[in-house]
Amino acid sequence: MDVVETQAGDVTVLAPGGRIDSVTCKAFEEQVMARINGGTTRLLVDFGNLDYISSAGLRVLLMAAKRLKAAKGRFAICAMKDHIREVFEVSGFAGILDIQPDRDTALAAMG
Amino acid sequence: MAESLDLVLKNDLGELDRLLSLAEEFCEGHGASPKVTYQVGLVLDELFTNIVSYGFDDGRDHDIRVRLWLGDGSLHAELADDGRPFDPLSEAAEPDLAAEVDDRAIGGLGVHFVKTFMDGTRYEYVDGQNRLRFWKALG
Repeated sequence: MDVVETQAGDVTVLAPGGRIDSVTCKAFEEQVMARINGGTTRLLVDFGNLDYISSAGLRVLLMAAKRLKAAKGRFAICAMKDHIREVFEVSGFAGILDIQPDRDTALAAMG
Repeated sequence: MAESLDLVLKNDLGELDRLLSLAEEFCEGHGASPKVTYQVGLVLDELFTNIVSYGFDDGRDHDIRVRLWLGDGSLHAELADDGRPFDPLSEAAEPDLAAEVDDRAIGGLGVHFVKTFMDGTRYEYVDGQNRLRFWKALG
């Protein structure tokens, strides 16, 4: 798992690649929390290069959503592959997180 | 590609990468779709992680055996461990799938994935071992 970070206006975009599993979720959590603790209030997670996520990765996303909701910020996830989208639906996360089809649509919605 | 994959893993999350890499290779090698390959890996991850995290009280090294094999057009898997007797299929907490962001908890999601994504599951406690089996049609 590696994470590519870019800034698009006032939105911070984190794009993890590969696998977010029970082990690599810790590195992902550190990256996400470092941004939020550093004052980022508009965070987009781009899943375009992500092939795998487990419940440990969902936990990190939930934590980020809670923190940014409390900070009156914005949090969204975009560009999910179909098999990952299904995990969000089965877990009920599709109904409580802001999921956008692609990066441009997400940035427009968050801007 | 061999007809079965037999792994003996330590009760250490450091083994997860090896488990997932070999399981994915086995699934792909037998023609499983990317989606089935992902779901089988996901379910193995969730179950293995639960066993390592909660299955043992003695702080010692234990073996967790994972076997994958083919039969009747399906991929079968079994995880066996000598931790405390625990049937995740009936004893794990049910996740609250409807709670809002502030009230959501993550517990129970892994077992929910097992039940949702696999075609069948079976648990038994035999000879001092938890044995959890699941299967999924290839395709």
